[in-house]
Amino acid sequence: MPIESSPVDSLSGQAPPSTARLMGYGFLAGLLMLLDQRGEYVPRIRAAAEHLVSPVYQVAEAPVEAVRSISTYGQSFEELREQNQAQRERLLVQAGDLQRLEALEEENRRLRSLLEATAGRDVQFRFAELVQVSLDPNSHQVLIDRGEDDGVFIGQAVIDGQGVMGQVESTTGGQARVRLISDPEHAIPVQILRTGQRTVALGTGEPGRLSMPNLPMQSDVRVGDRVVTSGLGERFPSGFPVAEVTAVERPSGAPFMNVDALPLATLDRGREVLLVLESSGEAPGGPPGVSSDTEEEAPDTATSADAGDDSS
Amino acid sequence: MVFWIALAAAGVLTLVPLPDLLEPLRPYWIGLVIIYWAMEVPDPIHLGGAFLLGLLLDLLTASLMGMHALSLVVLVYLVRRFRARMRFFPPWQQALAVLALLVNDRIIQLWALLLLGEPMPTWRYWLAPLVGMAVWPWLFLALDQARLASRQVERR
Repeated sequence: MPIESSPVDSLSGQAPPSTARLMGYGFLAGLLMLLDQRGEYVPRIRAAAEHLVSPVYQVAEAPVEAVRSISTYGQSFEELREQNQAQRERLLVQAGDLQRLEALEEENRRLRSLLEATAGRDVQFRFAELVQVSLDPNSHQVLIDRGEDDGVFIGQAVIDGQGVMGQVESTTGGQARVRLISDPEHAIPVQILRTGQRTVALGTGEPGRLSMPNLPMQSDVRVGDRVVTSGLGERFPSGFPVAEVTAVERPSGAPFMNVDALPLATLDRGREVLLVLESSGEAPGGPPGVSSDTEEEAPDTATSADAGDDSS
Repeated sequence: MVFWIALAAAGVLTLVPLPDLLEPLRPYWIGLVIIYWAMEVPDPIHLGGAFLLGLLLDLLTASLMGMHALSLVVLVYLVRRFRARMRFFPPWQQALAVLALLVNDRIIQLWALLLLGEPMPTWRYWLAPLVGMAVWPWLFLALDQARLASRQVERR
């Protein structure tokens, strides 16, 4: 880059850049934007280039981390004790839920074997933290501090304690970029928990609104309905809470309803997330490996089902 | 040298997370440093340099590839066009010119966002240029001082 500040103190004799060059660079930038949005070439180049810039995030994160660790030291003993108490109570409640869940899982497995259906997939979680840098708010993406080296793969589902956040878009050695479900380009296959009706929830660009434009007029949807992943599309495992219906509108003359939903995950505020790992690595086309499922299940039960309220 | 440090600092300021309420107020730090760079320095940044820097910024902030490149190229082009005039503006007038540049930049980015299918941003979107204008005189002084100091060091 021809960028040096020579100490010569004369007003530059350079002519201003010509309009033709502005046009040239403008065109180039426009082309890049178009290709990036269409998902051609550019995202792949970007994913490769990210390996080069990922150390920058660590540097940028350092001051924030420093402030945070200082403020943790400043926390009083009293505060910590209260926090501890609250967390212990919550843990107990969740442990209770978990016991019931185990019984349900067992029952589910039995029923499935009676139906000779494939065994339900087991889901494992891995903890990750958001990298504390602020990306372009319009990009609807976050960085997490786990990458390829930790087994994160592209397309992996990411959830937080409340619901689905998004999916991994690109990975570097120690970091991964996650696209949030609020991105206008993002679609997630879902079903209404109460009725089992399947549809697709699209991001709108607003962090607090998903839209479900494909529900037929006569379908039964009410405000307050829970929306969970349907498991279609093989990206997101089924049964994770996604959103809650906030508005249902039936415009006259239109074939579909307008349904808005509020994402349950804290898309813009969260700090800890969970990476979802399905233990049966079935290929979309291949026959479901039942035996391999059951093999893997046994050691997993201890680590799995941290926050997965599999309520379907 | 001064500018690499200034750019690195601007980069960190761009990435530092802010509380939600303050987020729209974050000035376009890289843009401000680039304006100074294109305006005050005898050998100002070229359009190609601005383009590459913009791409790097796109990469870092995960925005659409080319968006900041376009924004910085236009910024540098405009500043260098009106360089002779802007340099001799009194500070308040210069700050107004910077405001105009930043608002123009916001319009360009808005255009790119709308093409992407983003919803129309709220009025807070337009606050950042105002903050940028308020920051400008101080940034200007700081960078002037830093350049002066580094020149004195070189002479010794």
